[in-house]
Amino acid sequence: MSKHPHPTLLARFGRGRLQRHRSREVVRHLLTDCDDCRRVTSHLLPTAEASARLEEESISPSIDTTDDMPELEYGPAFERSWREVKRLQITLAAERSEAFELLRELLIQPFERQWESVTDASRRHTWAFCDLLLDTAREWGFQEPGRALELSRLGVEVAQRLDGAVYGEARVHDLVARAWAGLGNAQRIRSDFPAAEKSFARAERLLKSGTGDPVEKAQVLLLKASLRGNQQRFREAFLLLDRVMSLGHRCDDSHLCGKALIMRGFLLGLANDPEAAIRHLTEGLQKVDPAADPRLVIVAQHNLTLYLAEGGRYCEAVRLLESARPLYYQIGDQMSLLRLRWLEGKIASALGHFTEAEEFLRGVQKELIERELGYDAALLSLDLATIYARQGRSAEMRRLAEEMLPIFKSQDIHREAIAALFVFQKAAEMERVTLGLIRDVTGYLKESRATWSLRSSESR
Amino acid sequence: MATLDHPELRESLNILLKSSRPRLERVLRNFEIPPEDAEDILQDAQLTLLYKWDKIRSPESWLIGTVKKKCIMYWRKRRGSLCEAVDTAILDLLAVPQAPDQEKTELTYDLNRVMSRLSTRCRSLLNLRYGLGYGPTEVAEQMGYRTSSIRKVTNRCLAALTRQLLAVGFDQEPQGEPQDE
Repeated sequence: MSKHPHPTLLARFGRGRLQRHRSREVVRHLLTDCDDCRRVTSHLLPTAEASARLEEESISPSIDTTDDMPELEYGPAFERSWREVKRLQITLAAERSEAFELLRELLIQPFERQWESVTDASRRHTWAFCDLLLDTAREWGFQEPGRALELSRLGVEVAQRLDGAVYGEARVHDLVARAWAGLGNAQRIRSDFPAAEKSFARAERLLKSGTGDPVEKAQVLLLKASLRGNQQRFREAFLLLDRVMSLGHRCDDSHLCGKALIMRGFLLGLANDPEAAIRHLTEGLQKVDPAADPRLVIVAQHNLTLYLAEGGRYCEAVRLLESARPLYYQIGDQMSLLRLRWLEGKIASALGHFTEAEEFLRGVQKELIERELGYDAALLSLDLATIYARQGRSAEMRRLAEEMLPIFKSQDIHREAIAALFVFQKAAEMERVTLGLIRDVTGYLKESRATWSLRSSESR
Repeated sequence: MATLDHPELRESLNILLKSSRPRLERVLRNFEIPPEDAEDILQDAQLTLLYKWDKIRSPESWLIGTVKKKCIMYWRKRRGSLCEAVDTAILDLLAVPQAPDQEKTELTYDLNRVMSRLSTRCRSLLNLRYGLGYGPTEVAEQMGYRTSSIRKVTNRCLAALTRQLLAVGFDQEPQGEPQDE
């Protein structure tokens, strides 16, 4: 029998840290069934009990403790880890307090300067600044989609410049993934679905080399589900939301589950199933923490009101709108208030209060055109057309059709949609617009937006 | 952004890390993580929690779940690298061209003895790999496996061989060594 390898050599072998020729010597010796060495090596892998627990845990992550656990002393590991956490707490708190000022300085500059500022200045290449920038970009998505897109691009730049040696490679990958997902979402809001598709693909690739944090993953999947919904790929979107729910349950995070339910509600609404949308939105609203995400709550309440109104449940819609109104003003951004006025206009129109409805919708239409939100402006114009058709106001209908010209120039309108609007315009000129035609054009616009996005993504 | 520059939030993190310690210790013990490696697992999970504090809504559940997952990954990685080391070493030993006949005979004898304690299927697979020098595709063809699944089956057999070699004390194959039919 060959000479016994030293126990430290065996231990290093067990960790896969032995040179190849040394490994060879150890394995050759172990092939002789040496009892002395086997006593040492038998601890290099987990016992049958631990292995069984590993297997069970990876299938169903619920096991917490068992009675027959080995006596191992972890005190020093906790102490050293604790010291490292305390050290980082101080560093991160300093970074975070500086981040607000750095962001304020950045936001007052013109965009070109902002780009230089984030690419050149390493003092902005911190975790806290990047985190704050990504949150800010997300906030702008609700108010000014163009601004959100610019900030999201900056977010990606900053995230990619974070030092993995300082923050940990896997954690940096998580944050870069979050930045790409944020950019993908901003692109989705601007209806640039092919670009959004690419951004989400990058985000998911990065997550694979990240920490495996389920919350991070869930946030990316939620945003991706939103893209799939806009593309009318509902089956895929619902599967993504199932995964979010499962991650939420695993982390005991009811807020996350609530978000997934609300998103499902939005998508069911897009998929023309308003009753199911109402159920999911109601359930989701019960689960989310309003203080943690008032914007999500207001968007959910907004959509719920819309579906109630579209389903003819006007009393419930009006009641909900009134209870939500203070929150709209509390959030107070232009887009939320704009959508509130649009909703009020739709409800007023449905209730036959045409003068009031027209006033609301006219104001909103002007602002949507100014913000280059072509699709929304077109859809809203069709809401106005409904009022004129119901009142038989042909002259106003013709004027409305002429006013829609700037919408045709909007960047987010593709040629099939323009063709549909052109049909509407011609019908208006010929005084042939009916409620049926308006419904058809509205439906076509919603549908073609998704089809176009699909075709564009497939052709790339 | 709820930030840790607020003392009350910093305090709540500290309280959480203290209160979760008994559960975390049980998890580490449950998975038989060597104490010298526990620090890396704990520290990595706790630092990630700190970085993402304002994004995680159920920090204790998140922390316990993350440490459990890291324990699973820890053993998966160790087992993988150990199996690879064993496999490479055996292939190297068998490939030495100038080894005297007696050494070669002894090596084959010892290897066969260890393999005799494995299932027939693993024995056949490893015989093709070590005895006849077959590559994965040839092994798959010979044994009637799909090429796509041969890697997984080989890894399981290598794991079984490694456990035999190290005398890790258990009789059953918890991760499903391919069984005889």
